[in-house]
Amino acid sequence: MDHTLPKVTGTIDGHEFEVCHGTTLLEAAKTLGIKIPTLCHHPGLPPDGNCRLCLVETGDKLLASCAFPIRASGGVYLTHSPLVFEARAFVLKLLLSRAPNNKELLKLAEEYGAQADPRLSDDPDGCLRCARCVRACQAAGSQAIALIGRGRGRKVAGPFFEPPLDCVGCLACARSCPTGLIACGEEPRVIWGRQFDLVKCPQCGRTVGTPEELKRAGITSWLCPDCRRREYSQALKNLPEASFVRN
Amino acid sequence: MDSKESMESREAKDSIKSQVEGLLGSRPRQARHLLAVLQDIQAAFRYLPKEALLMVSEKLEVSAARVFAVAGFYKALSFSPKAERLLTVCQGTACHLRGSEKLIQTLESRLGFKIGQSSTDGRLGLETVNCLGACALAPVATVDGAVHGHLTPEKALDLI
Repeated sequence: MDHTLPKVTGTIDGHEFEVCHGTTLLEAAKTLGIKIPTLCHHPGLPPDGNCRLCLVETGDKLLASCAFPIRASGGVYLTHSPLVFEARAFVLKLLLSRAPNNKELLKLAEEYGAQADPRLSDDPDGCLRCARCVRACQAAGSQAIALIGRGRGRKVAGPFFEPPLDCVGCLACARSCPTGLIACGEEPRVIWGRQFDLVKCPQCGRTVGTPEELKRAGITSWLCPDCRRREYSQALKNLPEASFVRN
Repeated sequence: MDSKESMESREAKDSIKSQVEGLLGSRPRQARHLLAVLQDIQAAFRYLPKEALLMVSEKLEVSAARVFAVAGFYKALSFSPKAERLLTVCQGTACHLRGSEKLIQTLESRLGFKIGQSSTDGRLGLETVNCLGACALAPVATVDGAVHGHLTPEKALDLI
């Protein structure tokens, strides 16, 4: 938390909170121990407000709490009102038509009394279109995949629906997928229809990553993080006494 | 035969590349001009060739995935060549109520191809649009941008 930022206050479900300016409503609720269900949210990725499950009521409006930075004091937010409950049940119905067998979704659907609508379930491919994979790829330093198309035809793919040339095989997309839907292999490293070589640590033989992945990260040593650390401390140990500065 | 064909396709690719180079030259090479550049290419080729998109990605420093996502989002942009003349029937609410569906049926059965397709010679294409905003003229269609209102199936056939 950046303590130079001014504070904002408000209430969530009648409980007062005080957080730094710009904190999201979802994070503010967390400081009060109030749980808001989320699917597309990932603490390490920028919010996108895609799954709409974190809807919260303020005034008579609904907003996605994961993507709402609190910039003014005095807000009154309700996370479990009838309006919120109804909206989340509707969202769950839509999401279920995409991913009818998702365990987390089914658990939430039971809690909210939501059922998949057979009229909407023409293409239940299991993908929630939450774009966590797309954001993970971008955060890792590539933009190999994107949400392509619009409306019900929208889906995650590489350019031209071909194996993406910008992919480095880091598996960030597969690991961030909340439904575990992205087909991949650790060893041999296979993802998005491409196969990658693997770098083994020359000292301990552990898998470090793909050459493309290390290049993207600007890492020139092919040692694994543990062996690299050991090598670095050895080098420090071998430095002559005079090179240390004592205060 | 094979080498002649690949020669031809290479020549075609080179000509696309030099044309796209020219189109790219008319706008600042910034990511925010992506859509404008794609529109220029669509206007020049009546579709977005793959080589052109890859060039745009490289020159504007936008990832190929992003270029493809933007290109795939807009109905005015296409990945396969559009017909020389485009007949676009409005499917907005007002046009729908005033019988745009009948226009489409008549046109499809007369032309022998469906909405979204073109005649085999590539001269005429049939499309729909969600609303042209000319609801007072419903049902409405455009031929290469020229608006024709108060259509009946008979009048629609005259547009061909």
